[in-house]
Amino acid sequence: MKEISIDVPVEPPAELKPLFIPIPPEYVEDAYKKDEYLVLVGPQHPGSGHMRIIVRVDGDVIVDAIPDPGYVHRSMEKLAENRLYIQNIPLFERPAIMDNANFNLGYIRAIEEALDIEVPERAKYLRMIMAELCRIGTHLYDAAILAVFIGHTTGFMYPFAIRELICECLVKMTGVRFTSSFIIPGGIRRDADNSVLDFVKKATFEIERRLKNFEKIFIKNPATIARLKDVGVLSKEEAIKYGVVGPFLRASGVEYDVRKVEGYEAYDELDWEIVVADEGDGYSRFLVRVNEINQSLNIIRQAIGRIPEGDVISQDLFENVNANTKNPKDIRGAFYDLFANLKLPLGETTTLTEAARGLLLYTIISDGESNVPYRVRIVSPGWLYLRGFMESLRGERLADLQAIYGSFGYFPPEADR
Amino acid sequence: MEMLEVLVEMFEMFKSNMVNIPLIQPVIDALMNIPIVNYIVALVLWKPFFAIAILPGLGGIMIVLLLMVYWERKLTARIQWRVGPLEVFRPLRGLIQPLADGFRYFFQEVIVHVDSHRPYFVQLPILTFIPVLLPILFIPAGEIVAIRSSYAIQIIVALIALIPITIIAIGWASNSRFAYIGSVREAMMYFAYEVPFVIAVLAMILMYGSGDPYVIVEKQSVPGVIMNPIAFLVFFIATLMATSRLPFEIPEADQEIAFGPFVEYSGILFGIVMTLAYEKLYIMCLLMSILFFGGWNGISIPLLGDLSPAIWLFVKAVVVMLIVALARSIYPRFRLDQALKLGWTSMLLISLVSLALAIVIRLSGWLG
Repeated sequence: MKEISIDVPVEPPAELKPLFIPIPPEYVEDAYKKDEYLVLVGPQHPGSGHMRIIVRVDGDVIVDAIPDPGYVHRSMEKLAENRLYIQNIPLFERPAIMDNANFNLGYIRAIEEALDIEVPERAKYLRMIMAELCRIGTHLYDAAILAVFIGHTTGFMYPFAIRELICECLVKMTGVRFTSSFIIPGGIRRDADNSVLDFVKKATFEIERRLKNFEKIFIKNPATIARLKDVGVLSKEEAIKYGVVGPFLRASGVEYDVRKVEGYEAYDELDWEIVVADEGDGYSRFLVRVNEINQSLNIIRQAIGRIPEGDVISQDLFENVNANTKNPKDIRGAFYDLFANLKLPLGETTTLTEAARGLLLYTIISDGESNVPYRVRIVSPGWLYLRGFMESLRGERLADLQAIYGSFGYFPPEADR
Repeated sequence: MEMLEVLVEMFEMFKSNMVNIPLIQPVIDALMNIPIVNYIVALVLWKPFFAIAILPGLGGIMIVLLLMVYWERKLTARIQWRVGPLEVFRPLRGLIQPLADGFRYFFQEVIVHVDSHRPYFVQLPILTFIPVLLPILFIPAGEIVAIRSSYAIQIIVALIALIPITIIAIGWASNSRFAYIGSVREAMMYFAYEVPFVIAVLAMILMYGSGDPYVIVEKQSVPGVIMNPIAFLVFFIATLMATSRLPFEIPEADQEIAFGPFVEYSGILFGIVMTLAYEKLYIMCLLMSILFFGGWNGISIPLLGDLSPAIWLFVKAVVVMLIVALARSIYPRFRLDQALKLGWTSMLLISLVSLALAIVIRLSGWLG
């Protein structure tokens, strides 16, 4: 059928002019001349998070999507330059508070690598348990957001109820529900006794049991499958090309996990698998994360089974310091004696960590004489897969915007840092 | 003088056709002896007025709105391991929460934005009551009926079709992009369910051999849902689609297009447009009760007189509504194209099957 164009002068809406949107006016005019229109989704929209997505729509089909992030930018890298190394620990947990242990761990590992500190085995295991608990918590949080984005309120409430168990475990281990700043250079703040570890192990079974309910009502729901299947597909090549990371890369069939590749902490001593899917669509991105929860539960149980006895704070730290209380099981009372004057040797250290949403990079540059970092660079997973997220929107329907958003679990505070 | 004569004539008309409720008859008799008050009492109890204003009309809608909002929140909460409304009037477990919400809407500022078509934007939420109340004129509840017609079912179906038009008009008057998308979705959804819905109703009319609710109710010694369950299935899904309940909450999709056509409304205007879907649901449930659940058939309570069948019809409709509320906590939202596909393939197909079944029942002479 021949398309008949009617030559009506089209004025772009006035509201598109005064706003700070990162697109040239020609783009707006071009869209309106081509019978398309722009929809500004966010930042105050129930389905956008703290960001704006400028969606160019032709009828109901998304032609182009331009992200406008930065609404929750807190300039963490600049803030870090004026704080002591240890004062940066609470700061760098904040990008993704659900995932605090992984973010904490990445930063601490960079410091340890620079100072060349050997971490005690028991501390490694405890760190790993905390990191995996936070990973489960984040995946549950993202599953909840995905559920509510496609209109399933029960699917929203169940994971949050399950996550309470995670918070309870973290309370028993650290004393707070999240953002515990528990991981410190050379170990962790204090040891967890066996009753706590037993509790954590029991909690993993309870989480597994409750996940079955969630699976019945949301994961295996035919309407969920209809909404997510074959939506926002990223092929293996595309996923690599756009630099997608973490579970979303694995959902496109790339078997890459920093935990396996680097084997940091004690991940290489345990028996677990990388979860991979081939489809690369929204549903597989979701399923990969659901299966990762099961893998993480497995890791926690194994770690609790194999955890060795011993110190949790490295002896290397105590050598040069006149600490009054040299307790290798508990840092309380000696924290500032040990760390207030911490200086890193001249140079640059980079570590990669597998955070819940993917690859997390920390680079610390030290001038070798001051007790604050010269420069800290964080590249969070959200920032890395934003491109892939936007590319996967193309050609989908406007209603799928939220489904794809949820399937990526995009978290603006994490990406904006 | 003429005016007075007309009034007297109208009073006689009211008196000749009053709802008979033995329970409160002494009170009515006493009131009928007081001048002026007797006029008002006669008007209120005049069957056509009673049907529109009290039951199954506006009074019924009010009860349904308060009950439904509370029930929906409480039921969803219980399914989701939560408590739900509780703090507003604790002795009744937060039963008057919807009333509190209503008050909130009343005292909230109504913002009419610059780009809106102001007169329509303000008028339309109130005008929408017209297509909502029009079908009630034709829905009989036993002896209580406003307009008696042997084509009542057809007329009700036709009048229900007016409601989407007002919603589309609301979206147009809002003059916002999300409202525009929501209006288009509403129109598309109307497309999706209307044909199977009409065929399902047609099947039932064909089966009973009449569009007269009285004939239909009389013939349901066995409820229609058992005689033609396929038509009921189509009708039920069409009800979910027509009232934008999940999984077909597509025109309003708050996470996608932020309540679609109603995105720009605030204060009491939003309160009114929000109730629109519930009112439509109420009417469709009344129709469903008449077609599939034996209408006002039920154990007659002599003390209530004419009110007894009306209450039976109301209770049946409310029970259906309470069941419909369950869908919200089970299903996520379908996409527009999936809903359209469902409407034009599976639903159309099974509605045709239900039509064939109705023809078979009709030809077998079971219903006479």
